[in-house]
Order: sequence, then structure tokens, then C-alpha cells
Amino acid sequence: MTKSLGIIKSIKPRIREVRLSLHLLGRNRLTRLSLGVVILLILTALVSPFIVPHPEHIEKETNPVDKLQPPSGKYFFGTDELGRDIFSRVIYGTRISLKTALVAVGLALIIGIPLGAIAGATGGLVDEVIMRITDIFLSFPPLLLAIAIAAFLGPSLENAMLAIAVSWWPWYTRLIRGQAVSIKERQFVKAARAIGTPPIRIIFGHIVPNCIAPVIVQASMDIGGVILTIASLSFLGLGAQSPTPEWGLMVSTSRNYFLNAWWYSIFPGLAIFITVLVFNLLGDGLREILDPRTRKI
Amino acid sequence: MKLLLRKKSILLTVISIMLVALTLSGCGGSDTGEDTVGDQPKIAFYAFNSEPILDWDPSVEYSNGIVVLNNIYETLLRYEPLSEEVIPVLATEYSKSDDGLTWTFKIREGVKFHDGTDLNAEAVKISIDRTMELGQGAAFIWDPVEEIVVRDEYTVDFKLTYPAPLDLIASSGYAAFIMSPQAIEANPEDWFSQGNEAGTGPYMLQSFKMGDEVVMTKFDDYWKGWEGDHFDKVVIKKVPETASRRQLVEKGEADVTMELPYEDIEALKGNPAVNVMDVPSFQNLLAFLNTEKAPLDDKLVRQALSYAFPYGDVVEYAMGGYATQGRGSIPAGHWGHGKDLFQYQHDLDKARELLAQAGYPDGGLELLLTYMAGDEAEKKTAELFKAELAKIGIHLEIRGMPWESQWELSKNPDPEKRQDLLVMYWWPDYASPYSWLYSLYHSEEEILFNMAYWKNAEFDRLIDQGNEVSGIDIGEAENLYIQAQEILVDEAPSIFAYDKRYVWVTSSSFKGFESNPIYPNVVFFYDTYRE
Amino acid sequence: MKSFIAKRIILGMLVLFGVVLITFVLTRVIPSNPAAQWVGHRATLEQIKAAEIELGLDKPLYVQLGKYLADLSRGDLGRSLRSHQPVSAELKAYLPATVELVLVSTIVAMFIGIPLGVASAKRKDQMVDHISRFFSVGAVSLPTFWVGMFLQLIFYRWLEIFPLGDQLSMGIKLTRDIPHITGFLLFDSLITGDFVVFKDALAHIILPGITIALYPIGLVARMTRSALLEILDEDYIRAARSYGLPERMVLWSYALKNSLGPTATVVALSIGYTLVNTFLVEAIFSWPGIGSYISSAVISLDYPAIMGVTIFSACAYVVLNLVADVIIALDPRVRV
Repeated sequence: MTKSLGIIKSIKPRIREVRLSLHLLGRNRLTRLSLGVVILLILTALVSPFIVPHPEHIEKETNPVDKLQPPSGKYFFGTDELGRDIFSRVIYGTRISLKTALVAVGLALIIGIPLGAIAGATGGLVDEVIMRITDIFLSFPPLLLAIAIAAFLGPSLENAMLAIAVSWWPWYTRLIRGQAVSIKERQFVKAARAIGTPPIRIIFGHIVPNCIAPVIVQASMDIGGVILTIASLSFLGLGAQSPTPEWGLMVSTSRNYFLNAWWYSIFPGLAIFITVLVFNLLGDGLREILDPRTRKI
Repeated sequence: MKLLLRKKSILLTVISIMLVALTLSGCGGSDTGEDTVGDQPKIAFYAFNSEPILDWDPSVEYSNGIVVLNNIYETLLRYEPLSEEVIPVLATEYSKSDDGLTWTFKIREGVKFHDGTDLNAEAVKISIDRTMELGQGAAFIWDPVEEIVVRDEYTVDFKLTYPAPLDLIASSGYAAFIMSPQAIEANPEDWFSQGNEAGTGPYMLQSFKMGDEVVMTKFDDYWKGWEGDHFDKVVIKKVPETASRRQLVEKGEADVTMELPYEDIEALKGNPAVNVMDVPSFQNLLAFLNTEKAPLDDKLVRQALSYAFPYGDVVEYAMGGYATQGRGSIPAGHWGHGKDLFQYQHDLDKARELLAQAGYPDGGLELLLTYMAGDEAEKKTAELFKAELAKIGIHLEIRGMPWESQWELSKNPDPEKRQDLLVMYWWPDYASPYSWLYSLYHSEEEILFNMAYWKNAEFDRLIDQGNEVSGIDIGEAENLYIQAQEILVDEAPSIFAYDKRYVWVTSSSFKGFESNPIYPNVVFFYDTYRE
Repeated sequence: MKSFIAKRIILGMLVLFGVVLITFVLTRVIPSNPAAQWVGHRATLEQIKAAEIELGLDKPLYVQLGKYLADLSRGDLGRSLRSHQPVSAELKAYLPATVELVLVSTIVAMFIGIPLGVASAKRKDQMVDHISRFFSVGAVSLPTFWVGMFLQLIFYRWLEIFPLGDQLSMGIKLTRDIPHITGFLLFDSLITGDFVVFKDALAHIILPGITIALYPIGLVARMTRSALLEILDEDYIRAARSYGLPERMVLWSYALKNSLGPTATVVALSIGYTLVNTFLVEAIFSWPGIGSYISSAVISLDYPAIMGVTIFSACAYVVLNLVADVIIALDPRVRV
């Protein structure tokens, strides 16, 4: 009860700021456009099973008689090596990519936030140990750790999400630790400590709710990168498994056919590009607004 | 900062030079240099889909390496399975005793190893003894041999514990190579593995990049001589991308390649620059059903799956028509193949009926299938099967895994944790049905390749007996093997998906090549030439 | 300064130890039997048992780790499970091609990225700037593997200008002596004056080079732009301007020189990213580098090889980070 109240209290003053940000967001044409596309993508993801022309081609059925047909009125994006409608699969792929990206980032947050908050709020040896471990994880070239983990865990979409989460959490840990260090000296935290609130409750009831906003913003800006990473893992055969219509996997499968069936690789690849692009443009816009140095009101 | 700038100006210079050179040379174009005529050596190039060789030890290599080793080393005999002929190579003739327990080989005279040593009976004994002693790779093919006795300079006896078909064993593409005794004695055991060779074959190893390419050059003292048209050098290189292999052979840069997607093959058929060879193979695809785990421990469910499998679609769409539905476990063309064995046909009604009998009237089953990741045909097969199973209420999860993980999962001590179906290719080590029937279906104490975990005493008895008489009475052996397969087909521990056909694509100037299915993917380059 | 660098080096060592530990633990928890891989696809049980002892897999985990670390300190990364060759030797054979590709694309990225950044700083919030921003974000959003395939489709399949892949044409490889001095094909053929090889190698490196350069181009352009904007605001530039120095001189010689620090940092850091990006691109272009090497290792779960590449790349990354840090420390103006 007290906990949720704390969250609400700490969030309330931010609502105005969010509103201001949204207003600024709408002012840049490119950012506005990308926001629109992101919303469209989310809607697509939600309703995709109901709107695609060939829902049976998503997983259930094959249609080898029509294999590798070029785009036509019947199959907008052509068909794949088993005659499935690439359009339906690409549209449905939105759902898979967004879902896996959300889960992966969510997992990374679940690992990263508590560790960062504990490190920042506790300080001392605990802080040192957690942050050195964080440094180690951050020292892997991006993608490489995810590749290694996914390779060792065995190929599946779940393992790919796990691999991404494991290689992504340190960024959030580092971010939230910085916030936590400053917040723990604030009056209300000191007060809570003075009345004898247990440290765990201080961390999760007071510190985390107050420094979570920038982390959430950062996480939403990361979605684009995570989608790209998932596609890359699937492309290497370390992610989704056939016949799942995951974009990276589709591009990967198309390698055997694309020189004679350009449509097979073009459309899933474009889907990855556009999705990642709009998320990144949105993130770029967000960054400019939230960074006081570049903020123009 | 200064330092950085200076480095930069060096870089600048380098780049400007490169740019100038690029403009001068007229950017682009990948012409392949001048044609090689006149004194230039004639080079054959084989664009191979995988690593050409993994272990240089001819006693040990049990993988792709036969593609290389069969050009460097030779065996006593070679087998032509389609005409069922045994061809003399390093042995000029052979005979067996009436009980089939003693086989006598006459060794060819005047043959030299690459290190200058002469071939004789002693060399044969030392080579095969070494292979048996090391006991690695395919060394087990020599298991029936009790002793090798040198009778005189050019005669050698093999004493067996039971009448095995030693002529077929001695013609195996694996672990039957004869090496120079001089090289074996003078060098440490891992000398061969380090990338050295001492064979009698037409080509010698010139250089190699591990896992990538092998260059061989002709051996001047080869016993067949170099009269007529032959290649001076042979290059076998890994070209994993199908598009690259296709490009190489289309442009005439590669003389021969294989494993192209069937879509490409259709397109290449009309191209006069290349020749598409469609030949039988002894490689077949089998789907093993986990007989130690419900629901596939029930014969009726296994039969239902055998009826649900879309044989026609798989042959046509996964294999582009370059396959035939399997009949029993031995591919057509190989001895021991049962022409009259029962063959399941794709029949979903029948499958539903059997499922209902087994107590699953509406299906409602969830099964896991594993296949080797990266194998396009296995993947398509699995996807086509999945779609059919969905129609009878069975949900099939398909998982592509590296072979090692696939194998490890299949050997999990708890049958419940293993896969339900495992898709895998098999081909023989030497020309015997026993290679399939024993390795894949004989009951096992510890799991090795019996991926159905199937046990049947009568089946075991029949094939063991078949093996033991195959050296004296191959007709009787064949009967026993076919009888055994009748049990196999009825019990359905595996689905006999298809017998694969090999499709070679060669440059149209590449001549003299004949594919021999018992030596998969091997090109005997001595026989080939360029027109 | 010295103590700062020493501290960074110690931290770097710690990081590398962590990397080794993580990859080692990962390899030991995977459901696969290295011994079975060592003996090959069709092994007998006796052979597998013998290999377990040969590879020391029967020993407790900490003993294995100790042995691995001891070997590692001698530069021994173990033997590949497939080829049975030392991983370090194989890496050495595959490395030059990758380094060459990374270098070429990094150089290309600087030559396109820096002018692009300067242009967009000069015309801030104008068309050029918007295009540059869009391009930068776009470059980061592109799936590299797909770009590679796209370029193959256009330049190989449709226009037939560039070859499909590999480092050299097979015809050239078979018929000519390929110069081998540094291992960098372009450089070697240039200094030996072998223009046939040079031209062929150049034609082969263009598509993969462009594919890989896209990301650093975007990065370098963005970084140059923001660094320049900050510097252009500083007093001494204003002074230079007020003295009536030509704008071009102010921009290119005063401001740009001082903005190279952050750009160099970004380049150093982006090389690490580029290195991993080559893993995706090399497979597409059959480029004989460590990317192709790790791809085939991943498919066959050849974990000493995977570990080797991982440790190597992490090393390179740590060193590049160190370089970047030192640049930052040397130039107090640089803030990344």
C-alpha cells in the first residue's frame, strides 16, 4: 500500500514534464513521423493475426505448389520456398519482433534495475563488486556476448531473448546506479532511513521509483537496437526456428534463393530496417528533447 | 594529437594511391586473368560445400576427408555398386577359402609410394594393422579380421573370425588406405595428422589451409602413368555459399561442384556451359521415432505417423524431385534393398484411423522433432511434415540444432527428455546393408545411433546371421536382411523418408568423371580431364 | 597520467579475466559432448570415452579452468574440436583478411564521415544536416547482413559489376603467385607491383567494405558534427573569425583539428563494433576471415574456436577502449 503510494507520489510531478516532452516531440517533423509509424507498428502487431490475407501461412500450412512466386495481386510480397505468403509472414513478424524485444528489454531491466539500485544505495564493497562485474559485461563488443551465449544455450527464440538480456542489463545497472547515488542523499530517503525503514524497502520503495524514469526512457530508445540484435541472431541461426516468421530468420533462409527471388530477402529486410529506423529516430528525438543542452523550447 | 595527425596523413597517402590505382585499373570487373594454355599446368578445381578434410591421418579420417584422401591414397580394391563389380587397384587379384575365413590378396608389383618406398605385402599388413591398432574413425570395419599374414613379398592373407565380405571391406572409402611403412616407422604417430601424407595415389599433397582448401599435385611415378589427358594439379576448396558455388561453375572457374539448391539446378539445366549429372546415391533420410516414450512407444501411433508423412511432397519440394521415396532402410540399387517390401503411402484418413485405435481420436499430441541446423532439405522436410501433422491434430515443434547438440539430446539418460523424432541421413561405411541395419536398429546397451531406441530380438538375430554369412553366401545374406526389414517396416521405428540422388554440376569441358555412390562426394581426379 | 593508464590496464586485465571466466563457464554448461565432437560424427563409444580422457574432460571443472588459464597465458587457446589444430594458429590464418576488411572500411568511413559531419555542422539545421542525421540513424538501423545481400543482388546479379564474394577470383588464385608479405592482400600486391592481383582484390573488397563502413560513417559524421558545433562556439574560434580569417580556414584548420580527438575516440570504439559486424558480413561474402571462422564454429559447436574468437575480440575491444581513454585523458577538451 505504502509502496504503491510512493510510486504515484514520485511519478506525479513528472507528468507535467512528460507532457512537455510530448509537445516537443511533436514539433520535429521527422520525430513526429517516426512516432506515427511506431504507433502503427504496435497496432499492426496487435491485430496482425486477424488482418493478414493468409493467416494459415504463418505457421500452420505450407503451399509448395506456389513456391517462390514473384509479387502479385494474390501474394503482395511473393512467396517463399514452401509457397507461403511472404506478406502475411512479414506482417505477422511485427508481432514477433516487438514481443521478443519487449521481453528481452524487460528481462534486462529486471536484472539491471535491482543491481544498479543496490549498488548505488549501498555503496562500498557491494557497489565496487557489482560495478566491476558490470564493467566486464560492458567490455564485450556489442553483439558478441549475445552470439556466444546464444550459441552455447542452443538455438531458440527464448534463448536469444535471454542472451540479449544477459548482454544488455549492465547498461541499465550503470544508469540507475548513477541516479541512485544522488537520490539516496535526498531528504525523503534520509527521513525514511531515520524512521527505521528496512534497507530493502528503502531501495525498492523510495529509490527505484524515483530514478526509474530515465531508465524507462533509455529502455524504450533501445528497442530498435534490440530488434536488430534479435534479427542478427536469428540470421546466424541462433534465434527463431522455422517456420516462425521472424524477419532475421526469413532473410537467413532466403540466402539460398535470393539471387533468383529478390522479393524473398528484400521485404523481410525492409521490415527490419523500417522498424529499427523509426524506433531509433524516435529515440534520437527523445534524446534531443531530454538533453537540456540541445533542448529548444 | 600531433602523432595522430601524422598517422592520418600516412593513411591519406595510402588511400590516395589506392583511389588512383582504382581509377587507373578501371574500377570493377573480375576477369579471371589470362587463360592457362601452353606450359601452364592444367588445374582441376572442385568447389566443395564444406571443409575438404578434417584429419589428415588416413587411418582416422571419417568425414569429408575421403574426398581428398581417395586421390592421395589407394585401397586394395574398389567397388562398383551399380554393376556389383569389384575392381582391382593395389591388389591384382584375390581369393577366399571355402569357409570364407581366409582371404588371399595378390599385391600389385612396381607400385611406389610418394616417399619412394615400394609397395609390397608387408606394407599392406603394416597399414591395416596400424588402422586397427589406432581403433579410431571407421577402423571398426576391420573387426572381423583376426590376423594379417604376409605369405611372400606380394601375397598377403587375412584370417577372419567369421566369413565377412572382406572384398567389400577392403574397398571401403574410409580406413582402408595403404600407407608407406617407411613413413609409419620413421615418424611419430601424429605425423600424418600434422598434414603429411605417404600414399600411392596419383596426386601428392602440395599445400593446404586447414578447413579451407587443399592443393594436390601429380605424382610423377604413379603406377598407372601419365599417358593421355590428366590434370596436373587439383584444388579442393570449401565454398559454403551455394550462390558462390553456382557462380564458380557457371563461369567455368570451378570444374565440378555439388549440393546446389534444386531451384538453381533447374535454371542450370538450360545452360550449355555446365553439365548437370543426376546420379543415384546410397544416402537416405530417416526420421527416427522415440520408441521409449509415449505416445510413440505405441506401434499404432508410429504407423499413423508413417502414413501422415507427405512422401510425394517431400520428394518434390524438399528435394526438387531428386529423390525417391524410401522402401525399407536400404536404398534402391544397393544389395539388400527389398523391392517387394511394404511401403507406407501418404494417407491422412488411415493415419487418423490408427490414431483413433491407439486412443487418440482427435490427435491432441505434441511432439518435438530435431534436425541438423543448416540442412535446407531436412528443414523443408520437417516443415512439410509439420503441416500434415497439424491436419490430424498433432502439433510438431521443429528444432534445428548443430549435430552435436542433436546427438547429445538424443542420448539423454531420461527417455522422456529426449526428442520424439530425429531426422538424420545415413550412408554406408562400406557396401553392406549391415551398416544401416546394425548401426541404426540393432539393440544397444548404450545409445549410439539407434535413435529410435528400438529393441527387437528377432530382428537382431536375423541381421547378425546375415552379417556372418555374407562372406560366403551373399544371396542368403540378402534374404536375411530383407526378412529383417519386414519386421522393421511393420514395427515402424523410423519413417523411411527418401533415398537421395546426388546432383553434380560440372563445367561442360570437364570430362571422364563418373560418380560412385559408395564413395560419396569423391571425384577420382586421375580419371578426369578437360576437353 | 601514468597511474591513470596503469589503473586502466589493470582494469582491462580484470575485464579479460572475467571474459575468460564467463565464456569458460558457458562452454561447460552446454548440453553437448566435446569428446564426441573431437572424434567426429560417427564415433564408437570407446572412442568417445578415450577422447574424454585425452581432453581432460574427466577432471573436475576447476582443474580444467586452471589448465585453460595456464595454456592461455602461453597464448595457447586449445585445439579446435573439428580440425584438431591449435585455435591460435587457425585464428592467425584467418585474421589478416578480417583486419584488412575492418581497416579499409574504417578508412572509408573516415573519408566520408568527417566531411559529412563538417558539412552538417556548417549548415546546421539545414537540408544537409537533416540528410546527414537521417543517414546516420539509418546506417545504425540497417541490418548489415541484409545490406550485404542487397548489394550482391544489385552489383553482382543485376549489374554484374562486382564479384559475389571471396577475397580473390579463383582463376587468379590458381594461376598466379599471390604475394604474401604482411598478409594484407591489397597492401602486399601494391608494394610488389602486382596490379592484376591488386585490381582483383580491390574489386572483391568493395561490396563487403561498403557494407561494413555504413555504421561507422554514421557514427563519425554525428560525432564530428557535435564536436565541431561545440568548438565553433568557443572563444578562440570567435576570435579567429573576428580577425577576418576565411571561414574555410577557420573550419577546416582550426576547428576540425581540435574536434579530431572525439572523432578518433569514436573511430577507435567503432572498430570494436565493426569487428563483430564483420562476423555477419563475412559469411555472406565468403570472406576468409575470423567471421567466417566463427560462423562455422557456431554451427558445429566447436567451443574452443568460439571461445578463442570471443576472447580475441574482447581483447581487441579492451585495447581499443584503452586507446580511446588515453586519447581522452591526453586531451581534456574531449568529452564523450
